[in-house]
Amino acid sequence: MRVNGTTVHPDDPAARLLDYLRDDLGLRAAKEGCGMGECGSCTVLVDGRPVCSCLVLVGQVADGQVVTAESLGDNDPADQPGLADRLRESLVTAHAPQCGFCIPGLIVSAHALLSENLQPTDEQICCGLEGNLCRCTGYRSIVGAIRAVQP
Amino acid sequence: MLAAPAGSPLPLAGGTDLLVQRRAGRAVPAMVDLTSLRGAPPPVRALPDGRLRLSATTPIAVVAADLGDRLPGVRAAIAVFASLQIRNRATIGGNLGTASPSGDLMPPLVAADATVRLRGASGPRQVAITEFLLGPRRVDLRAGEWIEAVDLRDHAGEQGFRKIGGRRALTIAVVNLAWQWTLAPDGRLRDVRLAVGAAAPTVIRCPRAERVLDGQRPTRAIAERAASTLSDELSPIDDLRGSADYRRAAAGGLLIEALLPLVGTAPATTDERDTS
Repeated sequence: MRVNGTTVHPDDPAARLLDYLRDDLGLRAAKEGCGMGECGSCTVLVDGRPVCSCLVLVGQVADGQVVTAESLGDNDPADQPGLADRLRESLVTAHAPQCGFCIPGLIVSAHALLSENLQPTDEQICCGLEGNLCRCTGYRSIVGAIRAVQP
Repeated sequence: MLAAPAGSPLPLAGGTDLLVQRRAGRAVPAMVDLTSLRGAPPPVRALPDGRLRLSATTPIAVVAADLGDRLPGVRAAIAVFASLQIRNRATIGGNLGTASPSGDLMPPLVAADATVRLRGASGPRQVAITEFLLGPRRVDLRAGEWIEAVDLRDHAGEQGFRKIGGRRALTIAVVNLAWQWTLAPDGRLRDVRLAVGAAAPTVIRCPRAERVLDGQRPTRAIAERAASTLSDELSPIDDLRGSADYRRAAAGGLLIEALLPLVGTAPATTDERDTS
């Protein structure tokens, strides 16, 4: 398995990917909110696709490429260099993070959305974030921040 | 494949249900990861007899992408399934094996008379989906067997899927409906197939409502009569998501909404004044 570009050798295939990332590798961006795949706070990319790392076992991604919010820029599309940085700045400018707990997972989903479509409609933004709950903001500032990310 | 010591290992597909149960305290001694099996089939394969074989161990987002414009009913069910993160992991096999009466992938498969393909130590086996689904969370799956694929007809007519839930994403269906039909050149409905979820112990076909529609030109009155018949065919329960009465009414409403776009498309004739 590769995590953020580094080859790793986990020893417990039945461990949750989320626990392995946080406890063994010290990558604390992905958070455990619900542990049931409902909140999206633990979202990471596996082979470029957003998944809930609380619902993936390490052994299931033994040959996979895992990217967490810490290294999201590694997954910037070739035609959109710096996308992760611009997304992060836009969220900060809009004061989108309040308590911040949901943001590392949410930013992974938003990055996946913008990687395919840099000018999504509000409807497409909401669909792209359907698996990420935020209990602080009411989403308005988050959607606005994602809409404001420029090419 | 994960380590599987002696005992009865549980087949693990996308893990979006089993790992939630494990976290909640279900004893899971060992799992066999079906998503890592070597020689896994492609997400979608066209069979020589014209049917399509959908991999039961591939994430449904991948299956939907591979379907292209085929099986719009299956794709409509996948599109509203849980969330993007879950669709990137969850599988048809997992949804079938879990066999929740409200599982969103089953109605379009039941409407299409899909065949469930099983593999196991005693060899391959095929079961009609309505015989595979035995009851709430009960299926015809023997020890050591797993769900490999489902086969279904590449239906040329119209098909669709709708569900009613508390919110759009990540919601368990209060009731859901899959439909298939062909609108013949004479404006009449043929080969009508309806399947309803979350309104009986398993996802069920509704043959009486199908017969109300078969051979008819779609009118508002016919749609309402079929909806009323459909409601009578269901045996829903009251639970925290909705009452039995609500489920009956809502399932009928879904059918009317599915039929209404067809009303007025039939060629106008003078002898077809609706008398129902």
